[in-house]
Amino acid sequence: MLPFSKSNSNTSRFKGHLTDLVFLFPVLLLFTAIVVVPFINGIHISLTDWDGYAPEYQYVGLRNFLRVLRDPRIAGPVRNSLLYAVLTVVFDNILGLLVALALHRNTRSNRFFRVLVFMPFIISLVLTGFMWSHIYSDVFYKLMGIKSLLGNVRTVIPGIAIMSMWRDTGYASLIYLAGLNNISPEYYEAARVDGAGPMNSFFRITLPLLAPAITINVTLFLGWGLKVFDYVMAATGGGPGRSSETVAIYVYNYAFPYNQAGYGQAAAILMMAGIFIITAAVTAVLRRREVAE
Amino acid sequence: MRGKVKGLSLRTLQFLLKCLMCSVFVGPFYIAIVYSLKSQEETIATGIAWPHRIHWENFTEAIRVSNFWNATRNSVIVTTFSVFVLMLSCAMASYIIARRERQYKIYQWLYYTFLAALLLPFQVVMLPMYVNLKTLGLLNTRLGLIVAISAFQVAYNIFVYIGFIRTIPVDMEEAAYIDGAGKMRTFWQIVFPMMKPILSSTLILNALTVWNDFQISLIISQRAAVRTIPLTQFYFFGQYTSRVNLAFAAFVLAMLPIIVLYLLLQKYIIGGVMAGAIKG
Repeated sequence: MLPFSKSNSNTSRFKGHLTDLVFLFPVLLLFTAIVVVPFINGIHISLTDWDGYAPEYQYVGLRNFLRVLRDPRIAGPVRNSLLYAVLTVVFDNILGLLVALALHRNTRSNRFFRVLVFMPFIISLVLTGFMWSHIYSDVFYKLMGIKSLLGNVRTVIPGIAIMSMWRDTGYASLIYLAGLNNISPEYYEAARVDGAGPMNSFFRITLPLLAPAITINVTLFLGWGLKVFDYVMAATGGGPGRSSETVAIYVYNYAFPYNQAGYGQAAAILMMAGIFIITAAVTAVLRRREVAE
Repeated sequence: MRGKVKGLSLRTLQFLLKCLMCSVFVGPFYIAIVYSLKSQEETIATGIAWPHRIHWENFTEAIRVSNFWNATRNSVIVTTFSVFVLMLSCAMASYIIARRERQYKIYQWLYYTFLAALLLPFQVVMLPMYVNLKTLGLLNTRLGLIVAISAFQVAYNIFVYIGFIRTIPVDMEEAAYIDGAGKMRTFWQIVFPMMKPILSSTLILNALTVWNDFQISLIISQRAAVRTIPLTQFYFFGQYTSRVNLAFAAFVLAMLPIIVLYLLLQKYIIGGVMAGAIKG
């Protein structure tokens, strides 16, 4: 317990609170000005037909929200975001875990490999998007005759997912490495004495004890996946046509280029609600499995 | 004897497989470097073979055309100030929240607010923030960038720091109180130094995030003068998609400082990420 509160006089308690406020002030200022106030303004904007520039606007109540939900052109972005999220969550975790298992022992060569595996993560997403779009269109085509995945409407989202897997697997593997390091070798000893083979120990010991790390990774990548913007913007700009547009890009387009601020804001709020619900549901399921094991 | 040979060949196989695996991760870097050193015609002709002649002029031209030094200066300024402001303010705030949360409910509320903010997509405050910054005259300014980008990292940092401070026993602070030290002194002289491990790992992650930021910068920096490196790259490629070698020269330029720093500091970076994982 904090010692400062031990004094009982009202003035010193007031002074104590004042000092607390000084400590909190910079963060509260930043956070309120850039996150809280805009958030509240956003709710206001979503209830109008404002275009983002004109001084006049009219209140339209919940009409924007209903329009968003009824817009047939939102099906594509929603499907894209969901598909992308599922692909990245599943494969980032599987690949990350495989890499972590491969590089688990703390040898010098493994440490060297870890540096290489994590290297993609430090480059910006924009750079990743551009680099890979060129690799798809030039390198793959010349080496293997495969036409760029980004040019075909059906493979564009998986194509983008692959580039993000390239970057994020390293990150996932580090989280799993930390988790693996936390598992006491005694469990494996005991299992070996009992005659368990490697497969058995993996599924009965490793996986359950990694549950917290799995939760972290799944939640993190789910959030990133549902919000994806940078990769798509850099690699395809939403194309070909609008086929790789994600929900984040849909919102951006309506808020800025298309000048429909009210509508875009309503879409953004619905996007946020969707993300909250999906993430909460997935986390709840994972937490329950964590406890059960 | 046989077991030894078998062990050796198994390990060699594992080693080769790991090399193969890593080549996937490192491959694109190699491709980028090779492409950046060739002329336009050579790129089309020879693909990913090492260049015959090294065309350094790709780099000089990319720098000139994309206004690279200006972008670098902007990135450095924005990153340095953002990280500084961010980490100091979050450390201070986390200290109070972590130490007071059991006493007053409001601090718990604050904690949960920051937690919820972690899930917030940028899109939901994107436009209103743009409008606010416009009214305040902070659009197209480095100050605006610093303020906006830091604000969005606050939630994560506070979350991590509070987690860390909770593990610090109060004894030393109590001793300081008995010796008559005020909160400020206690924090700066005792607690802050004890936070060094978490501060160094988040320092690097924060610097990386701010340096690579795209979404926020895209909204705020629309004039070329204040563009950071990611933005410059983005606009550059809109114009120069056909000149592949120039494009990759620009990639390499943008990647180089980060990679050099990464290779120098990789022990801390990787350690930091792994340490953060355990706390989470």
